[in-house]
Amino acid sequence: MSPQLFLSIIEVGCFFSLLALSFLLVLDGAAVFNFAIGPYAMAAGLATSWLVTRLGYPVLAAALAGLAIAVVLAAVTDVAVIRPIEARLGGAELPALVAVAATLFLIEQAAGTIFGRGDFPGQPLLGFEPIALGSAAMSAPQVTLLVATVAVFALVAWWLRASRTGRMLRAVGDNKHAAQLLGLPVSRIRGIAFILSGLIAGLAGLLFAHKSGVSFTSGLQWTLWGFLALVIGGTGSVWAPLIGGMLLAAVQILSPYYFGSAAADYAILLVALLFFALRPSGLITRKVRT
Amino acid sequence: MRKLLNRYDLSPVLTLAAGLALLAWVGDNPFNQDLFALAATYSLLALGMYIPFVLAGSLSMAYTAYLAFGGYAVALVATRTDWPMVAGYFIGAAASAVLAVVLGFATRRLSSFFLVAVTLLFAIAFEGWLTSTPEFSGGAAGIGGVPRMELFGVEMTRELFIPVLLVLVWGIGVLVDRLRKGVFGMVLRASRDVPVAVEASGVAVPTLRLVALGTGAAVASLGGSVFVTFNQAINPETFILHVVFLALFMPLLGGQSTAWGAILGALIVVQFTFNLGSVGDSGTLLFTIAVLVVLLIAPRGILGYLGILWRRLVPLESEKERTHGA
Repeated sequence: MSPQLFLSIIEVGCFFSLLALSFLLVLDGAAVFNFAIGPYAMAAGLATSWLVTRLGYPVLAAALAGLAIAVVLAAVTDVAVIRPIEARLGGAELPALVAVAATLFLIEQAAGTIFGRGDFPGQPLLGFEPIALGSAAMSAPQVTLLVATVAVFALVAWWLRASRTGRMLRAVGDNKHAAQLLGLPVSRIRGIAFILSGLIAGLAGLLFAHKSGVSFTSGLQWTLWGFLALVIGGTGSVWAPLIGGMLLAAVQILSPYYFGSAAADYAILLVALLFFALRPSGLITRKVRT
Repeated sequence: MRKLLNRYDLSPVLTLAAGLALLAWVGDNPFNQDLFALAATYSLLALGMYIPFVLAGSLSMAYTAYLAFGGYAVALVATRTDWPMVAGYFIGAAASAVLAVVLGFATRRLSSFFLVAVTLLFAIAFEGWLTSTPEFSGGAAGIGGVPRMELFGVEMTRELFIPVLLVLVWGIGVLVDRLRKGVFGMVLRASRDVPVAVEASGVAVPTLRLVALGTGAAVASLGGSVFVTFNQAINPETFILHVVFLALFMPLLGGQSTAWGAILGALIVVQFTFNLGSVGDSGTLLFTIAVLVVLLIAPRGILGYLGILWRRLVPLESEKERTHGA
């Protein structure tokens, strides 16, 4: 395996991991797989590229605007879509699923209408010379994505372990009713989980868009990748999405390398079927001593 | 009169009348004929979605693949074999049912999110596969020049096929609505709402869901088959992935309380996304917003509220006694 291929896996893996982490936070906070996470990432990436290429914004300002859009979308999804549905139907699963699917599609169509239905190139956040690593080289966007991923995971892990809100999020994720009985502010914690998840998804989309561009339909595929990375990694630890993301990226990058261009989609489908059928709880599960 | 209205289910008569009116509107206008054929395709898709999704509470999203199965089966049978074209309808339906059951089986004990994910991944992989196998599926160009179908020795021209479509969609609509009201439908709906109780009565809920998924997939694949029969061509872009979201929204908007709601939803989709020239690309957006609003504040859908209105006008005997007694 060439070192450049290895770097590709790291790069794509970082993206998958961030999406999966975004899934995990909402899953802990609200017990929902938020399928609109891919579209948050898409909206951030697309808005940034659109602001830079069409309106001539400086990249950093555009990126901040893109992140803000992702965060607002996440908060609105929680407050305006998922909560009312849950309040009316008492947490039944199918209505919540339909509601997030509708949100996914709505964000996609809105982005297509506002930003246009073409492909946009991603915008490099920081510009510096590629860093040589032996025979391979890491480009500036690759380095940015890697550093951001490590930082995000470290921060979230620290936040969950050390901060008051983070510990409360874990409590809510473990047992919502118990948390409610203990008087924890479940609703506020859940809102924070959504906002944080929107921020992480937005960052992921923004930093990954340079790889293959971004268009209004990218979000669905990104959602599926993030979900699958979460399922592979499991929900047992905050680092599990990182492992799931890297493994999924290895499958996605290596299968076309060995089996031809169309193989990535088949391989991912196969991995999904295997994990769903045989190990739906993922590789890392929480062990509780009894 | 009131007794008569309450004793018989008038929906088959009313919908057939509506269908005939639609037929009169279509006439020999080619654009209207195209719209009608598309509406028929979407109606079958929506009915196929209705059985597992609304009745059994199982959401599969591989419906674009089922449509493609039906479409490609007809195109391949017509262009590569000497078999009658109708064989393609059966092959497509059987293949779709098998696929739906396999995907459902892999996720049968998991939350619905897993079935949605795996079916979407399948639809994506299948679209890619169609493009990358030119020798089998015609690749990106697809299969064109599908000959007209012969039914009982008569060549089905566009004009002749339109009434056939009406009868087919209406007939399947009647069947699905009967299914909903019959014992099987009642068990399905009960398994959606209280799976534990149904399981305790000795019915295997996972198996029941697989049957619903398979039946729905087969019905939807007929939609693909009629589309190809009418348009005489298919390619991987004919049924793009986002159609499945529209299909999911059709029963929600039209109303889940009867199978006709799915068909009404299909008609609305065709109107919003293809016929409204002025709104253009944003038609799909408007439609999606409408669905989300329905989902949030008017969950019964259009036919649901019409039904309530109807009951106000023609109350059931039991309800009348209750109100009089009180």
